[in-house]
Amino acid sequence: MEAVVPAVKKALKRVDPVQLHFLENCVACAACESVCPYTPISKLYSPVNKAEELRFMYRKVMTVSGRLLGPLVHAKIPKTEEELEWIREVAYRCTNCWHCYTVCPFGINSGSMISVLRTFVDSIGMTPTILKAFEQFEASGRFMENEGLARVWQQILDKASEAVGGDLPLDKKGAQVLYMPWLAEAMFVPDSVVNTIRILSKIGVDWTMPSKPLAIRPAVGSVTGNLEQKKTVLSAIDSYLKEFGAKTVLLSDGGFPYTDLRFELPGVVGRVPEYRVLHLAEFLVELLRQGKVKFKSGSDKVTWHDPCKLARASGVIPEPRILLREATTEFRELPHHGAESYCCGGGSGMGCMTRELHEAMGQLTGMKFELSERESNFIAKAEEAYLKSIERKMRDVKQSEAEIVVTACPVCVETIQRGASLYGPEVEVLHLATYLVERIEPA
Amino acid sequence: MTVYEFAVYEMLPAAVLGFAAGMVYRIARYLSVYKRTVRPRRRARSIGHSLVHLVKTFAYPIYFSIKEERIMFASGLLGLHILGVIPLLFLFSHHVTWWAYYFPPYAALKRLAIPPSATSAALTVTAPVTPVSGMSGIFVNTIWGPLTVVLNGDVLAIIAIVATVFKVVEKIPKKVVGKVSYVRIGDFVALLLLLFILVTGFMATQHLPSGEIGVYKTVLGLHILGAEVLLILLPFTKFFHFVFGYWYGKLHEWYDLVWTRGV
Ligand code: SF4
Ligand code: SF4
Repeated sequence: MEAVVPAVKKALKRVDPVQLHFLENCVACAACESVCPYTPISKLYSPVNKAEELRFMYRKVMTVSGRLLGPLVHAKIPKTEEELEWIREVAYRCTNCWHCYTVCPFGINSGSMISVLRTFVDSIGMTPTILKAFEQFEASGRFMENEGLARVWQQILDKASEAVGGDLPLDKKGAQVLYMPWLAEAMFVPDSVVNTIRILSKIGVDWTMPSKPLAIRPAVGSVTGNLEQKKTVLSAIDSYLKEFGAKTVLLSDGGFPYTDLRFELPGVVGRVPEYRVLHLAEFLVELLRQGKVKFKSGSDKVTWHDPCKLARASGVIPEPRILLREATTEFRELPHHGAESYCCGGGSGMGCMTRELHEAMGQLTGMKFELSERESNFIAKAEEAYLKSIERKMRDVKQSEAEIVVTACPVCVETIQRGASLYGPEVEVLHLATYLVERIEPA
Repeated sequence: MTVYEFAVYEMLPAAVLGFAAGMVYRIARYLSVYKRTVRPRRRARSIGHSLVHLVKTFAYPIYFSIKEERIMFASGLLGLHILGVIPLLFLFSHHVTWWAYYFPPYAALKRLAIPPSATSAALTVTAPVTPVSGMSGIFVNTIWGPLTVVLNGDVLAIIAIVATVFKVVEKIPKKVVGKVSYVRIGDFVALLLLLFILVTGFMATQHLPSGEIGVYKTVLGLHILGAEVLLILLPFTKFFHFVFGYWYGKLHEWYDLVWTRGV
């Protein structure tokens, strides 16, 4: 319990004018309630209710009225194990999808506040064990020393070189495009990496990729609220890219690694990098506009699920649509799409809250995730919530009558696949690279 | 000294000063937590795109609540804001006169003034005395024409009062049964203060509880006093959104999502 006050202060160090606005200007209208993937599970998981836990601490530490009047003005610091457990629970009922941000009449980003709450949870040592393990592994830079993980990576390289029929141009200095796949993609959506490589080879781009992944999924600290980890990982990646002389950095992962590298990195490392960061969708649209690629058009009933980080948080909205409309005449939108897209429910570590993943990771890495009874209960409850949260997205998919859902974030692929098996409809869920690889050609 | 005299002559300057001091304090707090940071390269989007999305940034919550949250839209946005407090505060004829007294150019809005009732600029349809203006049944002479049926003090005040009561009442089960933590005591205080101002304003216009001049002045004095208390508390309550939070929040969102990230 002694760790609580320093942890509160550490989390509140993140308060800047924008966070101050988020903390102080909520009118409790609850307009943000209905967009959150976790509100259908309980109204106590509504964005404003979750963010209020941070407001309690803020008022107690940073406001005069809170210091003087305490609970009377809803100012308090958690004191009991139950209160801390509850804070961890609400902090891990958020995908950081930012839908609450755009729907709030006052532009209050509860997701960003919940990320601050996770800094608190992390500082008191309550980050879920599996995420902590990923985080430490990633920051150490030594994850490839793990036999299981090294094997996964090698398998990807083997598969890819077999697919392109030759050696991969690994670590090739001076290449125009540096493709950066992450270890998590190799583990969970290996086809997205293999097919991105196939596309790059097929269309004749001068490309390369690191022989070893630079991160598990950078930065895991963005998910856990551990800003030191985030700084360590993003700085290491930036140094590598700078030294490599990268011009265009290409990502197939359209989740938080994209926002981290594209928008967060300058603030973290303190400089605007000379390289540009593009997602595969943006890169291919550029080539299409330059007349360097073309598509064989089919008639698959395809829809696009906008990963929250790629669409709502980064504006990569028209690009995937341009590509899919080239590749099929039967493209259709989901009822909620673009910046208004419904989150699938799996982001920001929520997709890791399954017992199945704990087992799979244990087997793969040879690590034993020792969970206390309390944490086991936490994981079981989080898993239940996560699995329920997907249902809303699946209703959208059903309404679209699509037969193939294409998306670009490993967690979205995994989550929507789960959703399809739990709630239907029967759809194929593919990464953009996998859908396009047979349809794209050099012009 | 009567309540009316106190409210108009003593309290008014104090309220304005209190409001100004509160605003300075709030803005200073923003500045005190300022942190320098390196901004990312913005995604290139046309000025047209940025402007269209500026409108969309403000419009999306409204569009969303019409589509998905009808009760909230009707009570909060429509009842309390669009048809309630905003037109009453800025365009209700008595208020236009009041604003114009302290800030003469405001008189330009006189043609837009909303009369106290649909049938008389002086008295109201629901007044306890019979209108003597000879205009009963005829729309008063404002720019609003037949819209005066809705755009009049009587109707708007009743809408605002009903919406405010609804907002207070709907919070109780959320707090008591739903056990949500975001329903705050301060919200009740702010809404009840607003209700007090609306009810006393309505009563004063209606000459309630009696038309006797002393009673009228007391009720009007209480109405003005309530508004002055609100003005002093404004920087520290949810009403702050009206002068700052709404504009700062949405403009920041636009700058972050549209201007920088190109959404
Ligand atoms: S929509 Fe915004 S103001 Fe309303 S409750 Fe949610 S965070 Fe607060
Ligand atoms: S960011 Fe998304 S998941 Fe998190 S509280 Fe907001 S709407 Fe819910």
